[in-house]
Amino acid sequence: MTETRRRRRSLFDLPSEHVEDIETLTEEFAGAETERPSWDTKACCIEALCNVSVEVDEVVVTADLPNTNPDTIKIEQINRDILEIKAEMKRRVRFDEFGITHRKGEFRFFRCQMHIPVSFDAKKMTTRFKRGILEVRLPRKRRTKP
Amino acid sequence: MSEPVRIVEKKSVPSNALMLNGLPDVGLVGLIATSHIIGQLRMNEIAYVDSDLLPPVVVLHEGLPYAPLRIFGNSNLVATLSEAALPAKSVQPIMRRLVEWGQIKKVRLVVSMGGMAVQDRQEMEQVKVYGAASNPSLLKTLSDKGIEILHGGFMVGPYALIMRYCTERNIPAIILLAQSFYNYPDPEAAAAAIKEFSKITGLSVDVSKLIEGGEEIRLKARDMMKRTTEELNRMKKTQEFDMPLYV
Repeated sequence: MTETRRRRRSLFDLPSEHVEDIETLTEEFAGAETERPSWDTKACCIEALCNVSVEVDEVVVTADLPNTNPDTIKIEQINRDILEIKAEMKRRVRFDEFGITHRKGEFRFFRCQMHIPVSFDAKKMTTRFKRGILEVRLPRKRRTKP
Repeated sequence: MSEPVRIVEKKSVPSNALMLNGLPDVGLVGLIATSHIIGQLRMNEIAYVDSDLLPPVVVLHEGLPYAPLRIFGNSNLVATLSEAALPAKSVQPIMRRLVEWGQIKKVRLVVSMGGMAVQDRQEMEQVKVYGAASNPSLLKTLSDKGIEILHGGFMVGPYALIMRYCTERNIPAIILLAQSFYNYPDPEAAAAAIKEFSKITGLSVDVSKLIEGGEEIRLKARDMMKRTTEELNRMKKTQEFDMPLYV
């Protein structure tokens, strides 16, 4: 048999070769479905950058809230697994400050909604605001043994 | 077949210049720092990067379209700056081409500034800047200037590749990594990186605007940070937290 002849591949090789492409397509599809502007002129809100970190005993949520008065921060459990953070900015921000003159509107609030993938006890949360970053610590709920 | 990455020169490029890189990475540290330096030194666009690997994006400034990945310059400094997140898949060919271009232009030193994500960044009043270099002599220069050397671990992303390709081509290169937030813009870390950059290069850059206007920068950099974080996740940037296997 000559070396130039193509080696027969296992049927199981094929999916693995395309896993990366499938992952990329899935990401793109999911992104296309959920991608939206990071602002809402009707609600006068800008979406804050935020992060959720699930630890052994607690969930640590942070949100970047520059130019915000800490006294205005509101944290609310919207439903079982969604936490919302809202805060008022020290001053109103307009599109033209970003060099955008073809859109109208101004923003007074930061808002972010986060999916928390584990059960947590919002009543026992602790908060801290430092360097313009809010940190929320939510104790995890433990399953009771049957 | 066309070149995968093309650098289009618009003005003459200085020879024997220092090459600075401001690319989107953790905390947007290098991007904020380089953008600040370009503004302070009033550098002009001299070239841009064109590639099918980049998204179909132009950036409008005063109604005129510009490529998102551009090169600015003056008589002794060239600086790359990206105004859009770089897709993970484009990073290797683009960094390879930028280093190759730098060699053709006979750059005397490549300096990259970036962030090094740390968990307790919120607690830090002062951030530390670490360094790495493409050869032992430059490492000594960093040490002599009081910069702590990054002795081990992983580097992931555009700067990691710049260091690798510069070493391969024997181009002197250093990287300055300031402790920073991972996915929040960090102008304070950018200011710290610039201070060390000034010590090494002798180029004096005032960083007071970065400190005083930090909150405004963070506000404006949100969308860029969000898209950069998505790409960093694709590059498996968190491998920088891994413990290397040295047997």
